[in-house]
Amino acid sequence: MSIIYILVPIAILFVLIAIGIFFWAVKGEQFSDLNKQGHSILFEDDKEQHNKSND
Amino acid sequence: MSENCFHCLESVPAGFSAHVVIDNIAQPMCCIGCQAVAQNIIDQGMTDYYKYRTVSAGKVEQLVPEQLAFIKSYDNEDIQDEFISTNNNSSEVLLSVEGITCAACAWLIEKQLLNLKSVQRVDVNTSTNRAMIQWDKSETPLSELITSLAEIGYKAYPFQSDLEAQQKQQTAKAYIRRLGVAGLMTMQVMMFAFAMYFGMFSGMDSNFEQYFRWISLILATPVILYSALPFLSNAINGLKAKQLNMDLPVSLAIFGAYSASCYATVMEVGEVYFESICMFTFLLLLGKYLEFRARLKASEFTANLQKLLPLTARTFDENGKEHIIAAKKLKLNDVVLIKAGETIPADGVLIKGSTSVDESMMTGEHQPVRKYVDHNVYAGTVNHDGVIEIKINKLGQNTLLNQIIRLQHNALTKRPRLVEITDKVAQWFVAVLLIFASLTAFGWYQIDPDVAFWITISVLVATCPCALSLAIPTALTCAVATLTRKGILIKQAHVLETLSKLTLFAFDKTGTLTQGKFSLDAVDVLSENYTKEQVLDIAAQLESYSEHPIASAFNEFKGQRKFDDVQLHPGVGISAQHNNTHYAIGKSGWFNTKKTNAQATLYVNKQPIARFYFVDKVKTRADKLINTLQAANLSCHMLTGDASDAGAKLAKTLKLDSVQASCSPEDKQKAVDRWSEQGEIVAMVGDGVNDSPVFASAHLSIAMESGADISKNSADVVLLNSDLASIEHLLTIAKQTRRIIKQNLTLSLLYNGSILPLAAMGLVAPWMAAIGMTTSSIIVICNSLRLLKL
Repeated sequence: MSIIYILVPIAILFVLIAIGIFFWAVKGEQFSDLNKQGHSILFEDDKEQHNKSND
Repeated sequence: MSENCFHCLESVPAGFSAHVVIDNIAQPMCCIGCQAVAQNIIDQGMTDYYKYRTVSAGKVEQLVPEQLAFIKSYDNEDIQDEFISTNNNSSEVLLSVEGITCAACAWLIEKQLLNLKSVQRVDVNTSTNRAMIQWDKSETPLSELITSLAEIGYKAYPFQSDLEAQQKQQTAKAYIRRLGVAGLMTMQVMMFAFAMYFGMFSGMDSNFEQYFRWISLILATPVILYSALPFLSNAINGLKAKQLNMDLPVSLAIFGAYSASCYATVMEVGEVYFESICMFTFLLLLGKYLEFRARLKASEFTANLQKLLPLTARTFDENGKEHIIAAKKLKLNDVVLIKAGETIPADGVLIKGSTSVDESMMTGEHQPVRKYVDHNVYAGTVNHDGVIEIKINKLGQNTLLNQIIRLQHNALTKRPRLVEITDKVAQWFVAVLLIFASLTAFGWYQIDPDVAFWITISVLVATCPCALSLAIPTALTCAVATLTRKGILIKQAHVLETLSKLTLFAFDKTGTLTQGKFSLDAVDVLSENYTKEQVLDIAAQLESYSEHPIASAFNEFKGQRKFDDVQLHPGVGISAQHNNTHYAIGKSGWFNTKKTNAQATLYVNKQPIARFYFVDKVKTRADKLINTLQAANLSCHMLTGDASDAGAKLAKTLKLDSVQASCSPEDKQKAVDRWSEQGEIVAMVGDGVNDSPVFASAHLSIAMESGADISKNSADVVLLNSDLASIEHLLTIAKQTRRIIKQNLTLSLLYNGSILPLAAMGLVAPWMAAIGMTTSSIIVICNSLRLLKL
């Protein structure tokens, strides 16, 4: 059982990393508009330009 | 069946045919504007927009050359100082964008702007309708960014955030960070707490227990010293101002229990309460943040205002050539040219030309005011139809507009404030808590000095007013969310509480009780050769060339007739030719005919054919609202800037309790102050710039969406649909909220009251306190959620 003396501090380290990432995300305005971020996955950013000859 | 435009979903007018091929299907378009925008979107390969949008786009208006010139003026370096920040070769600007309706718009805008070279970063916020852009100013001028947005159908203008808005953004971010730390850490602390709970029943190696305590201490420390710090500073601020607020018992519990638990860990005695205080901090922060966010949304909405004053002005250089300069560079006695439809940049005297000016933003009256040489014109008012030159006699702080704004700021600082119910509850809660805790400490000290300290701490934890502190913010958040859904924006925290205490309602007239625009009241046909329909048809067609407010009254009668040689005669009317007949509409007495009191007369071959009478119609729900308010024992009064007898007449039909006409902004303020001194709790409903000072004096202020931006900005409540019926909704929901708050307070006091004796007898273990606290909080939250279903 003495392994938890090592495992628990490692777990805490992970939590600290998580908090670091969270602060970074807050700084990058990711939480200022929750509506947009949820939809952003739907859009393809590098779709080929629509063929103009269709007009 | 008529077709609908694929872009804006409005119906396609008969006889118009335009199509855009989208995904190989030709889709109908309703106008050239929509067609151009849709074609642009397709050509840029952004068809995904149509696939994923959830709300239709607005109808597109094409830019006219004048607007383009105006956008170009944003490139002026002097003007840019105010809204662009530059470092090295990257500039940053915040644009307010009109027409953002859903996440697809945000994507479209980001994609469109990133297509331009030298744009480094775009971040569109769909809840504030703003876009932050970072780009290289030397390669692409700002005007190019704005026109490129116009190409895909969005109107943008630079946003100047004021200090208050920036602070609010900072607060919101700080809340989120604190909440995140509290949430993540509480989970960890809870995990170890559970291990210790089980250890208590089944036995646990004391080494492990001590280890877990230390781990909990380490994990709980950031929650207490970072996340819970605002509670402590609020409590201390309250004490400094000699007030006992709700944060005091909260801080007592959190920091008292934290210190005791630290002591227990170091000295290896007693009990630890890390999990309770962490969870408590998290729940409380969550409640406070949600409440804050609901209000932040409302204030962000109204902060997207165009400036009242134009950024640029047209002046003449030495050669007498017209050129555009930044408005802030204007000096006294400069001569400024103002074209039709432009906003006047400074107070001045008219020296050339004549026009009619819309001063509604000052006076609330929509009837344009005639201006001739030597008349004064005021900054912020809109020049209607003539081209004029003015000589500036007042600038900046001295303009009438800024005097009104100053009046409002002064009133804000001494605004009456009602004691909030939370503060009242907090005061005797703290008193009872302190008395009870010291009694417990004293009592147990007599019986068993060893346990006295620990039982006192358990009393503090058990009576921790978690549910009590959540009782009000959760109810308010739910109520605000419901109201927002109904088109009522709440911007201040005190609104719902103040509403239930109101004794007096004061209304502005034009635009508030009335529609604030002219409607046709009566038509007098003078010639037998014309029917009423024909006259209306001709009049409507003629008036469609006019910007005059009366012209909009004819909109519903618009016909298909075509006129040639249309001429605008400023201050008189409009004339035109059709099939060799001369038509004209304008003021009575034109062409040397008899003068009457009709507001408009139609002339055919210079002979009067019909007379039109207009009224500013009362809003449909006005009488019902007044009845409801009076039935609820609220007296209703009118404060109007209108000097005519229209106010008195309207007051009589609506059975108002009193009316005060021809009020200046100060007069309105004085009237409200007088009522306040008599002990009345006053709500002011209005819409104009002239109402903004009185808004700051009244206990509660309600603005119409159709009103001036500055009044919306200073009001506590904004009615998005400008509908008076919303005030009734507001009152009902406020009443309901009050009831829920009372229930919540009773529930939480019941819990605190019943656990207090048990804790004082030393019967409450840490795990029981944690469960009790959570359960009571959840019950309170669920009760508040009922407000969402209204």
